[in-house]
Amino acid sequence: MPERLICRGKNPHPFIVFLILAACVPAQADMGTATQTLNVVLLPAGKISVPSGFTLTTTGTTFNAYRGALRISYRFRTAPGGGGSISLRAASDFMPPGGPSIAAGALVYACGAAGLGAPCAGFQTVSTTLATGVILVPESACTGGGAPCSAADPAVVELQFTLENSPEYQTGSYASSLVLTVSTL
Amino acid sequence: MKQYIATYLPALTVLLILTAAASAQTFQSSGSTTISVTVAAEASLYIEDSTTTLTGGPLFSDYTGTTRFIYKIRTSQGSGTGTITSLVTADFSPSGGPSVSNPPTAGDALSYTCSVSSPATACSGTQTASTTAAQPVASFGANARSSRNGNSGQVNWTLTNDPLYATGAYSATVTFTVSAT
Repeated sequence: MPERLICRGKNPHPFIVFLILAACVPAQADMGTATQTLNVVLLPAGKISVPSGFTLTTTGTTFNAYRGALRISYRFRTAPGGGGSISLRAASDFMPPGGPSIAAGALVYACGAAGLGAPCAGFQTVSTTLATGVILVPESACTGGGAPCSAADPAVVELQFTLENSPEYQTGSYASSLVLTVSTL
Repeated sequence: MKQYIATYLPALTVLLILTAAASAQTFQSSGSTTISVTVAAEASLYIEDSTTTLTGGPLFSDYTGTTRFIYKIRTSQGSGTGTITSLVTADFSPSGGPSVSNPPTAGDALSYTCSVSSPATACSGTQTASTTAAQPVASFGANARSSRNGNSGQVNWTLTNDPLYATGAYSATVTFTVSAT
């Protein structure tokens, strides 16, 4: 039976009236409270930011090594029993040919102090085939906000690059691409 | 409700834009950066013999000796050049013996010949040392590049043995200069 006819009916039966009244009574009489549990799973994560490029320079004209710095900003969240890392690899050798060669081991770097995790130790030789370490992040680590996370957000590490200055290089401008990869567990 | 949104949406939009602009770094799961270097012309020289002793034979034969050096050089592709020169920056002293600038006898001279390894070209013939003008030792053309550890060269000295020289020990200073463009 259409609801409109029930609510607007003339001289309805009392029971029907009760039903009508029960149906038409405002919702306030049925309101209550309900709870719901919200769950979120935070997975380990790591992200980095690097400048689009940087330049190596030398001092004087007597074959002093070329030097330059790369500043890496990063954020991490690692799980108990897990960890994370940042590694570096050259996507290609210096181009065009005739100048310095990464494959020949001419390019090395050292890691400065890290805002989170352990920086690489000593000099790392850049490779076009193997990734070399930059940062190792321990388990249950996080970036920003102070203890138990790091103080700074993002954390920062600076790499100091050194390139041999051999007389055998032809004069000119050369470039390569360095790829930094984040992994987390 | 519509009025509420119409009133506050513009301000909310501005807030979001400012927030995005303030964060210039882009964080990603990996990153790449271009490393660049400009290789220019350079040159350096190492004198292997800090002291060269000239020795003479009997009967006033000329004094002779050799100064050895190692050079490193890189000249520019296309039109680069390079040179190695010598200049007597301090004449023989004390006085009374040989002299480059004012010898006791006209024709007395400190002279030399050159011997260098490629890519250098040795000076031609015999050169007379001078206290006033640099004299050639070697020259280089465009795109001249030594080995990583340098290449060798030497200067063979000859000093007139004039009987007018008083006996004694005499020394002069010779400065070698290498340059590259």
